[in-house]
Amino acid sequence: MSEVPGSAAVDQVREALKLVIDPELGYNIVDLGLIYDVAVKDGREAIITMTTTTRGCPATDYLRMGARDAAFSIEGIDEAEIILTYNPPWVPRMMSAQAKAHFRIRDE
Amino acid sequence: MPAMPGATLSRWTPAYFAAAVLFLLLAEALMVAGFGYPATGLRSPETLALVHCVTLGWLSLLMLGALFQFVPVLVAGPIHSNELPLPTLVLILLGLGTLVAGFLQLAGRLPFIPATFLATTVLLSGGFGLALWNLGRTLYAARPLNLPAQFVTIGLASVAATVSFGIIFTLGFGGYARTLPLANLQAHGLPLHIIAGLAGWLTFTAIGVSHRLLAMFMLSPELDGPTTRWTLRLGCAALAIVIGAGAVVASAGHDPGLVLLVAGLTGLGCLALYARDAVQLYRKRLRPLIELNSRMAGVALGHLAGATVLLIVLVASGLLARHAGALVFLVCFGWLSGLGLAMLYKIVAFVTWLECYGPVLGKTPTPRVQDLVVEPRAARWFWLYFAAVDAATLALLAGMPLVFRAAAFAMCAATAGIAFELARTRRLVNVGSELRLPAGSRPPRLLSTFVPS
Repeated sequence: MSEVPGSAAVDQVREALKLVIDPELGYNIVDLGLIYDVAVKDGREAIITMTTTTRGCPATDYLRMGARDAAFSIEGIDEAEIILTYNPPWVPRMMSAQAKAHFRIRDE
Repeated sequence: MPAMPGATLSRWTPAYFAAAVLFLLLAEALMVAGFGYPATGLRSPETLALVHCVTLGWLSLLMLGALFQFVPVLVAGPIHSNELPLPTLVLILLGLGTLVAGFLQLAGRLPFIPATFLATTVLLSGGFGLALWNLGRTLYAARPLNLPAQFVTIGLASVAATVSFGIIFTLGFGGYARTLPLANLQAHGLPLHIIAGLAGWLTFTAIGVSHRLLAMFMLSPELDGPTTRWTLRLGCAALAIVIGAGAVVASAGHDPGLVLLVAGLTGLGCLALYARDAVQLYRKRLRPLIELNSRMAGVALGHLAGATVLLIVLVASGLLARHAGALVFLVCFGWLSGLGLAMLYKIVAFVTWLECYGPVLGKTPTPRVQDLVVEPRAARWFWLYFAAVDAATLALLAGMPLVFRAAAFAMCAATAGIAFELARTRRLVNVGSELRLPAGSRPPRLLSTFVPS
């Protein structure tokens, strides 16, 4: 990969993904910790590794499509690979401090 | 993308929910009008018509509509057929219509036509047969099953038994199937039909689904430890005793009282373990502020505990036969209907959100599921509903039919209030105009979900 996480393009994709909310929790999937990894290959292909709060969630396909469309909103990105994984399974402690505060979840 | 978005939405679930709520309102209106128990006897045809409006029209349609949506979630796989639920619904509605007409014939309110009962058996066995085929194939394809799906499987086996008992009774009402074992079952098998339906089909399935849904909604750890496994085993054993041994004893012409006692004690063990699990789900939740559906599900669980205590007190005091109506009422309305309304409030909002806003996720800001509902307004109707159910139960126990009818009126008003809130949710009335229908989203239809083909 020509760019590593932390690069400007990765940050832009990450920011764009905040437009996608988990409908049940009503919070963006980045701060919920549902995005496990973002990489950008050759400056034009986003590779997003993500999960859902529960396996078999009826929103799964919408969340994947939403993540893809959010990546496409970044100039220069014209390909996106969305990798759905349940390894490791999502747990609430993966949320950002901001999301934990929103849900009044104790930061462990 | 391997799957079309929306492929996991159940197309006809909203139609099941609408039909179910209409039957609940109808049943409550009949109770207000003094139709059936307690104005007539517990086994009178009028009471049987009323009871089947509640158990088939409301609770079973609600449960089937929910299962067509949530069995795929439980097993993380697609439903076998997204089209079969419509003919299934039509057959069950027609079957329920002829069943109620048959009871009205037995009550002398309509001319007696024996073929009505034959038609009922064909329609209802066809409808439930299709439902079992569809859900059964979905579960079969997803083996090995997780614990919640195993609960649902036992629930589906129980509905098969419930419908089978019901068919034997219905044929008997029409003057068919009078051979000795069937006539014996018709004489002694009513408790088996009631327990297979209320405990096996509705309660056991609700236990399985609630384990998963409560964990999802409250961010609680999913329970699959020994307590949950023994809840399943004891419940299975209790149902096998009632349905298997009970059928053998009743068809031999004996009262199945002893069988029911053994099954009841086993079932109490199952309920005690489920109570432990339910308390754990609420205690260990990571979401301190829980939504209305989870709060009201807790109230419904409290009513299940209350009904269990009432059962023990009535059996111990020898008053079960006298107050069986009050007990069944509390199970149907305090526990099953209370849980059903609570979950309906959430599921309607969730399915509507997926249908409208799922396709534009990532393209434009979208509302949250919570933005489709106004909880404080709905909460008032839920509290009125539960208070009215408690008052109605006490009125039945105390033998005060007019108080019962007044309480039924309050139940009916509360249900209408909740139904109105559900329709508002489905129509996106509660969503602010700036987010209501962004470009690319589609307004939902009231009775079906848009599923891309």
